[in-house]
Order: sequence, then structure tokens, then C-alpha cells
Amino acid sequence: MNAWKIVPAADLGHSETARCSAMRRECGLISTAMHAVTWSMGKAYLLLWHRLKIEGAENLPIEPPFVMVANHCSHLDALVLGAALPERLRDVVFPLAAGDVFFSSSCRAICAAKMLNALPMWRKRCGAHALADLRLRLLKEPCAFILFPEGGRSRDGRMMSFKPGIGMLVAGTKVPVVPCFIEGAYHALRPGRFVPGRVPLRLRVGPPLMFADVTNEREGWNLVARKVRIAVERLGDITDRAPQTANCPPGT
Amino acid sequence: MNPIAKARLFDCSAAFAHPVTLGVTIALIVVLALSPVVIWALTRAGYIGPNLRTELARRYWSWLVIVPLLLVPILLGAFWTIVGIGILSLLCYREYARATGLFREKLLSLVLVAGIVGLTLATVDNWYRLFVALTPLTVAALASVALLTDRPQGYIQRVGLAVLGFLLFGTAFAHLAWFANDGNYRPYLILIILSVEANDVFAFCCGKLFGRRKLAPHVSPNKTVAGAVGAVMLTTLLVVTVGWLLFPAEVISTHGVSRLQELRYLTVFGGLISVLGQFGDLMLSAIKRDIGIKDMGVVIPGHGGLLDRFDSLILVAPAAFHFANYIAGIGVNQPVKIFTGGGS
Repeated sequence: MNAWKIVPAADLGHSETARCSAMRRECGLISTAMHAVTWSMGKAYLLLWHRLKIEGAENLPIEPPFVMVANHCSHLDALVLGAALPERLRDVVFPLAAGDVFFSSSCRAICAAKMLNALPMWRKRCGAHALADLRLRLLKEPCAFILFPEGGRSRDGRMMSFKPGIGMLVAGTKVPVVPCFIEGAYHALRPGRFVPGRVPLRLRVGPPLMFADVTNEREGWNLVARKVRIAVERLGDITDRAPQTANCPPGT
Repeated sequence: MNPIAKARLFDCSAAFAHPVTLGVTIALIVVLALSPVVIWALTRAGYIGPNLRTELARRYWSWLVIVPLLLVPILLGAFWTIVGIGILSLLCYREYARATGLFREKLLSLVLVAGIVGLTLATVDNWYRLFVALTPLTVAALASVALLTDRPQGYIQRVGLAVLGFLLFGTAFAHLAWFANDGNYRPYLILIILSVEANDVFAFCCGKLFGRRKLAPHVSPNKTVAGAVGAVMLTTLLVVTVGWLLFPAEVISTHGVSRLQELRYLTVFGGLISVLGQFGDLMLSAIKRDIGIKDMGVVIPGHGGLLDRFDSLILVAPAAFHFANYIAGIGVNQPVKIFTGGGS
């Protein structure tokens, strides 16, 4: 009889706009409906316009928590990763988006939160506590993150080094990291362009990585970042060997 | 569409035909216009400090938004009044759901929202049988839908919270909206809303002036017995005065206003509004204390959430409706099933 405990929304007490930028945001009925519409339309667009192909979807964990990571060349990337996820996870999957781009105004914040379910990642002032909050959320709630560990879109299509933030999220935990490689996104919508070209997209999902035995300190974080990058790079190598596809090459 | 129904729903040309509507509208405009002057004068005279002045100013700005939001739909027509109260119901439920955690139960929330929308549509249509049927049907739907997740743990609590939410923010508020199906809905609604809001002010003032014994120290430590009794007396007086003085004989003959204008009924009406208004206030305080939060939201600066402002209306609405309906009849001679076709 003690199964139900009254727990107010974690973002109670925030104004409507502040709630959209809150790290502890929880989805209500309106957000759920908007996520369903946005992700469905996004997936339909990717399938029809970019003929998106998803390989290795069986590698995705059935239930959260997990973190999806991928190379980042385009604003299409989050949609591509979201398209691989089942509908029932839409409310618990949070793309971590650049705060200075997607949350720079109230209007943008509302769109990013209500439509994409994005959480802000403030690149210039992303303190350890912000990542610690996210780590805690990952461990306490059944939720998942979509993360681009390069910290921004690659300007030349080459994969940059991964920042240790991914390590701060998962080092010493049993949260699986799912490496993914997105191919074609750079040519479809590279930074600086606003109209996507009709370029085929391919998403390759790799087997999950676990970092339970890695220490939760700087050395461990860097190790996680390196290992995850190698995993993503390998997926890119496999894709690169395939004929008629050679976009977004792996980096240095 | 029937011309009588069309005029009631959409015609605002006769908005000020009734003296109560005109009188109260003018009074509200005067009060809103004079309030800054009074606050400024009291500050200059040193009666209020800078903190209280800031608080009063914040509340004043809130009222400057709330009053037109309440008054304009009533003046525009019954359709806008009903839709406005429907939106208020949904927003109040949203606050309640977020405060209690019920929003995480998406299916229950969906059914509850559908129930509120259904009540609003039944009210716009003036279809009383559907209006009455929707409450038990929605409760049944909530009890059924909660089974779909196959999760018996917490079933009673989930359904209990949802049913309470629907009864308070759906059914109760819908009774306020149903007043808009009366030919004289403007004075009715203005009288009820005005007296409920004044009731809060009377309780506060009487409590400050004479209050010693606490009314319910565990639920709401600031409320006093003197405040409650004073509010009952003053609110009843207000209802009797507004209802009696502003309904002269020629208005009764012109507008067909009925037995509710008799002194004994007005007295009971005023008492009902005051007592249930205070119970509504206490009810929300109890809910907040039970959950462990201070305010239900931050929508209205200086007040908190919508529920913190409109809590007193929740219990008043159904009681006032049934009392007025029993004594005078609500919506007598108005066309029914306006959009869905004639009948009863």
C-alpha cells in the first residue's frame, strides 16, 4: 500500500520559461504530445528525404539508463539518433544541446525543450556540478542522454577529439554507452548551411560499452573519452569501407 | 443557431445592460486606477515600508492582469466565459498534477483532460444531461484506464488523486461555467467572483484587526476565528447589498430576475459563498502542507500559482450553482443542445 508516494515535479517552482532550461525538467502531457509529433515528423523526414538507413539497432539497450554518443557534423544528428529509438522512450531520452545555441532565448528554449526534449549544456560555463547533476539523474531515474562528446559540430567533417564530459557521466557506473556513427550528415547540412541537401544518411549503432571499473576522476574520464572515440571511429571505418559512402571521415 | 442562444453566447452589445455589470465594472476600474495612488500616499505618509510597498506593487500588477482576464470574457459573451473557465480548469489541474506527481500518469491525465474538455463542450451546448453524465463516466474511465498499466501497487492512490483532481478542477469549476447558460449570467458570475475574492480580503482584514484564536493552526497558521466570522458577516452583507440594492424593481421586471433577490435567500447565498470560500482556501492549504510545498506555482507574481488565487472558488461554484438553480433556476427559457440539435 506504500507504492505511491506523492513526489512533486522536480521543476516545481520554476516559471514556464525557466522550466524549459531546467536540468531537472519533467515532461507533462503537452510535452509528451509535442515530442511525439516532432520525433515522428523528424523520423518521417529523415526516411523520406534522406533515405535514412539504421544498422545495428539491435545494439540499443531495451530500457534506460544509457547514453548514446556519436560524431557531430550537423544539426540533423540528434534527429538521426532519436530516429533509432523506440517511441516509448521519447519522454525519457534527453539530447544534451548547446545552451548558447538552443537555449539562448526563451523562445528557443521552449522549442528545444517542448519539441526535442533537449537539456541545456552550457559550453563556456559547464561546471562539474552540471555534469554531476546529469550523472545523478542518469543513475536515479530511468532516463537516457543523447550526447555529442566533441562538444560542437565539426567544421570540416572530420571527427574531433572527445571531451572528458562523457567520462564524468558514466565512469564507475553500470550505465552503458552506445557508440554510433552518423554518415552523410556533413554533406546534408554542414555548419553554416540552413537548407539540407538530399544526401542519404546512414546510422551505425555499435555494441554498448561499460565503464563500471573505471575510476570517477580525471584520468578515468579521459580514458572513457578515448575508448568511446575509438569505438565511434571504428564504426566510421566500417562505414567508410562500404562502397558509395565516404562522408564525414573519421578524424585525426 | 437559435437567435436567443446566439445573442447570449456571442453578443457583447448588451454587456452593460444590467446595472450590476455596469456598476461592478466601473467600481473595479476605479479601484484599479486609485490603488497606485493609495499605495503611493501610504508610502509617503510612512504607513508602509519599502518591503510591503514592493509586495503591494507586485500584487497590484497581478490584479491588473487578473481582473481583465476575468472580466473581459464575461463581458464578451457566454461562449468566451465558458471557454475561459474551461482553460482555467485545465491550468489549475496542471498545477495540481505537477504538485502531486499525478502528471507522470499520462493516461490518467489524458482521460482527465478529456473529461474537462467534455464538460466545457456540454456547457457551451447547454446539454445538462451530458453535463451530469460526464462526472460519473469520467470517474469510471479513470478507474478503468488505471488498470491498463497492469500495476496494482498504488492503484488506489493514483485513481484517488485523479478522481479528486477531476471533481475539484473539472466538475466544480464547470458548475461556475454553467452559470453562463443563464440569461443573466453576467451579474451572477460577477457577484460570485467578486464576493469570493472580497471574502479573502475580509478574512485577512478582520483577522489582522481582531484575530486572536487560530482557526486551524496546523493547516493554516495565519487564519483566525475572528477573521473567519468577520468574513462571513461582511461577505454576506456584500452579497445582500449587491444583490438587493443593485436589483431594483424595474430591473427585476426587465431582466426577469427572480426569487433569489429575496433577503432570506440572498443571506443564505452570501453565507454559503463565504463559508465554502474559506473551506476552499483551507483545503488548498491542507493539500500544500500535505505535499510539503509553499505555492502551487509561480504564474501570478505575489500570489503563487493559479490555484493559490482561485482556491476559494472551487467549493463555492457547485454549491452556489445548485442553490441558485434550486431557488431561482439557472438557464430557464434558454435554448438547450444548441449545437447538437434540439431536445432536452
